[in-house]
Amino acid sequence: MLTLIRREIRDHIVYFIAAVVFSAILIAFLTAAMYNLDWVGSVVFEALSVPILIILVLGFSAMGVTQMYLDRNRRISAFLSALPVTRSRILTARIIAGLLAILIVLVPLTITAIVMGRLTGPPIPISSGHIADILTTVFLMTFACYCLGLLTGWTANKIAPTFGALGLNLVLVSLVFVKGFGPNIKFLLVLVIVACLIRTWHKFMSTSL
Amino acid sequence: MNDNVIKVENLVKYFDGRCVLDGINLTVPRGCIYGLLGRNGAGKTTIIRILLGTEPTTRGDTFLLGTESTNLAPKDRGRIGCVAEGHNLIQNYKVERLIKLCKDLSLQWNHESFDHLIETFRLPMDRRVKNLSMGMRAQLNLALAMAIDPELLILDDPTLGLDTVARRQFLELAIEVIQKQDRTILFCSHILSDVERIADRIGILAAGKLVVDCPLEQLKERVKKLRIIFGESPPENLYLTEIVNQQIHGREMTVTVANWNRQKQAILETFKPSSCTEIPMSLEDIFIECTRPGTEPVQVA
Amino acid sequence: MRSRSNYPIQVIAAGFLVLAFLSLSLFWARWVCKSILANNMPMDYRTVDITPSGLVPGDFESDPNMLRRSGAHAHIIHPEAPQSLGFMDYVIGSSPAGRHSDVYLLKYDNEAWHWIYFDRSTGLIACRYEIKERMPDTTITRKMVQIYVGPEGISETPDEDTGRFTSPIVDVSDIDRGQLTLYDKKLRQFFAVKFRKEVELIKGPQLPEDDPRRPVDIGLLSKNPSVLDLYWMPLEIKISENNQDRALYRSRGTHIPIREGNSNYRPDRYTLVLDESGQIDLLDRETLEFAGPAGRLPAPETFFPTDKRITPGDLLAYRVLSIALKEDHKYRGLIAATVSREGTALALAVFNERGACFESKDTRAKNSRGSRNVPSSSAVFFGTPWSPVITIGKFLLENIHPPILSLASYFTAGSIEAASGHRAMFLLPNSFIAMKGRDARVNIAARFLFALLLISPSIVLAILLAMRVSKDAAVVGLPQKTRRFWKLGTLAFGPAGYITYKLTRPKITLVTCANCGKPRRPDMDKCHRCGSKWDVPELIPPAWRVLNGAE
Repeated sequence: MLTLIRREIRDHIVYFIAAVVFSAILIAFLTAAMYNLDWVGSVVFEALSVPILIILVLGFSAMGVTQMYLDRNRRISAFLSALPVTRSRILTARIIAGLLAILIVLVPLTITAIVMGRLTGPPIPISSGHIADILTTVFLMTFACYCLGLLTGWTANKIAPTFGALGLNLVLVSLVFVKGFGPNIKFLLVLVIVACLIRTWHKFMSTSL
Repeated sequence: MNDNVIKVENLVKYFDGRCVLDGINLTVPRGCIYGLLGRNGAGKTTIIRILLGTEPTTRGDTFLLGTESTNLAPKDRGRIGCVAEGHNLIQNYKVERLIKLCKDLSLQWNHESFDHLIETFRLPMDRRVKNLSMGMRAQLNLALAMAIDPELLILDDPTLGLDTVARRQFLELAIEVIQKQDRTILFCSHILSDVERIADRIGILAAGKLVVDCPLEQLKERVKKLRIIFGESPPENLYLTEIVNQQIHGREMTVTVANWNRQKQAILETFKPSSCTEIPMSLEDIFIECTRPGTEPVQVA
Repeated sequence: MRSRSNYPIQVIAAGFLVLAFLSLSLFWARWVCKSILANNMPMDYRTVDITPSGLVPGDFESDPNMLRRSGAHAHIIHPEAPQSLGFMDYVIGSSPAGRHSDVYLLKYDNEAWHWIYFDRSTGLIACRYEIKERMPDTTITRKMVQIYVGPEGISETPDEDTGRFTSPIVDVSDIDRGQLTLYDKKLRQFFAVKFRKEVELIKGPQLPEDDPRRPVDIGLLSKNPSVLDLYWMPLEIKISENNQDRALYRSRGTHIPIREGNSNYRPDRYTLVLDESGQIDLLDRETLEFAGPAGRLPAPETFFPTDKRITPGDLLAYRVLSIALKEDHKYRGLIAATVSREGTALALAVFNERGACFESKDTRAKNSRGSRNVPSSSAVFFGTPWSPVITIGKFLLENIHPPILSLASYFTAGSIEAASGHRAMFLLPNSFIAMKGRDARVNIAARFLFALLLISPSIVLAILLAMRVSKDAAVVGLPQKTRRFWKLGTLAFGPAGYITYKLTRPKITLVTCANCGKPRRPDMDKCHRCGSKWDVPELIPPAWRVLNGAE
């Protein structure tokens, strides 16, 4: 399994590098915002939070699409299937690699937010619950969009994964505007993730390689 | 332990409404070198892909090493070496990286044998697979398949793209594998001279059916090509069953018959031909006769 | 690779995804329709004035120099504002003093944090504030105080002996003046915390078990203030300057407060308490006992009128302002404005100091002949340019929604909280069928039949799609039980069911059966139509075979 995960990471190293860079940019913004709420804070939180979220989710969706599309068209799984590797392991390794990329962005951001909150905020538990809500929702949304990418990417067609994934992701991201960051959206996103993974699993396991 | 390494039961495969395989039954016992032959589009690669679990069946079951193809565990896959048609390798990997990947994923790896092969084939480690020639890809594929010391080796047109020397090297390699006890090979190739050299059992696909499935020597005995010269014009009907092919030139009739036996001999003799000589056939000749289009369409009773 | 065994799981997974994405897309489409309708609402559809208010003494109102009478004014700002969506609701509600927030005060002043919040882990109200003390030498010293308030007392550290609040409802309007009034739902008791030199906790009497009152809000009663504006218009009297004959205006009967946080506010004896039934009562600030009724939330006239008394949960927004005059700070009464669930109707009412309704008005619109008044909740759908088209669009969009969910919306019409109804995706609490579900004028049977009529296009569409699915399922050779399941599923879920069927339908190219000539599935041993065994006439294998068993 580790070999397969390493293979996925190496094959899609661009996304991991981009995740690290993006994480660094977000941490820089967050740090600047916490220390200088007047202008940076308003820029970050009011103007950039939505584009940042959209870049994040579309980026990871693109990663999911790329992973599956390249596999299908370069017949990577067909080659790997000839080795002592099952399709379920290939897909599991793929999903773990995607999760790792997401965590590369979100874990440092979470740590920074918690530290910044402790350093600059009042010493009361006002925002820890909100930070947890927001970051959990962002994580679930990002993972859901990634899973959508996996689902739509398994095709030989170029248009379907590109526009299909884009359209579905934009619709899914709008769920945040409808439901906010409460328990409802988390529950819905978990269901979306489970449903996407079940469909992806079935598609990947049953089509010819 | 199940003695049949490969087992196919009533395999039917359709592609978009077009039937390719129509009820194939096939068993390959342990230690057998099975040559699976057929014309282009007969379904050889399809059978292999189904056996390896990369293609779903429409109906029927296939088993490798006693396990259903769709449920092959990693430890079973680790016992199978495969050279697929077209040499399906990861094109944008460097050779070195591909080898490392296979090494890391394999359950066993014969370093000595593999290094020897790589040296023999003189494969460049730092070149990408897509930049290798067809022949080099074939060699790499072969080396990767052999390195795991497979119990079962499945070769789908493995010498495609190999030059004569490389082909000969491959055959010698295959013989080396054969000499190891209990190794089984399923071998598809269009170069029938190679098949004839190493195979001990032959299967021929035609019109979705396995029309031949028997030991090579038996095949040569059972399929006979005869040149018969009659005193006058040849009879319209020889009353022989299982005629594979029949051609008439004046008083001369060339007939290929399957499952030649004494009974058929006796029937032929009743027509009192002037002469009847057997034309020896190589495997290639038999294959051409069996797969010639327009072979007798009489329904089997 | 054969996955018949997990086919139901596949269907459920695909079905959920289709339902989620379809519902979300329809949500936005409906939201656009509602926003257009709301934008097109002219001001007279969303404004109500009551003049004179009836709360100012008569001699003020009858002053000969009176220019403008006192009155109450309310108008709907925007019913489909982004604030009604979950994102903004969460952000605004979670900020300090927000609706969902446990933080009642948070500010950074003089290089120190001041806060008042409810700590759920200890069940105590934590307070940190600054006390200013004037010393004998007239200098002012400042001291930070941190305390924890519980129902049984106050301490400087969290202490179990101080008891535990469970779910307090807090009045934050007087915090700047050092008073906090709260009600604990579990203890059924009012408390007041006064922050002066010494912190004082005052406990009111516990409400008896049989007391039907269930307070849900205290003090400045408001919900979704961004949707509704309510203000008091003071009486204006003309006066003239002595040396210049220039008219100036003086307001009398100034309302306190005009807006929340007005620094001119000087508290009267009472504070307002809103009950879950919509009743508003007066609470004596000193004794923390109920001092009598103050009024109730007025019911706006909805599209399908309801006789039911309106509750806070039925309203998208409300605002209540108590009125006291500057002259004597005596409580005179209150003005209350409410916005209906759908955001298309507004009601304004004035109650006197005894809680009797002085006057109540709804938003109404004149019909095209200019004669009859129509409720704004009806006029908004048909009374403005293009509104009939948008309304039909909204109606059709509601009919693309799964019929079973539309019916569920009918049955749950009254139980979903109004504001969260604007964020509902699967159920449609603001749809026409849900509105009919809340119509209390007609009997249950008539109401249900009318509701079915409202979703008849949806039912017809579902039937047509179910027929198509059933036919296709038969062609594809699905078993009888599966076909029945798909028929019922498509009837229940309409387009979502149909799309799910298309996505999960076995992807098999059918082959013509040589026996019956109809399409049959090649993955079945026998033709599922005529039962004949397999035959492949297009393949003509030779008659001979050379077969042998293994050596």
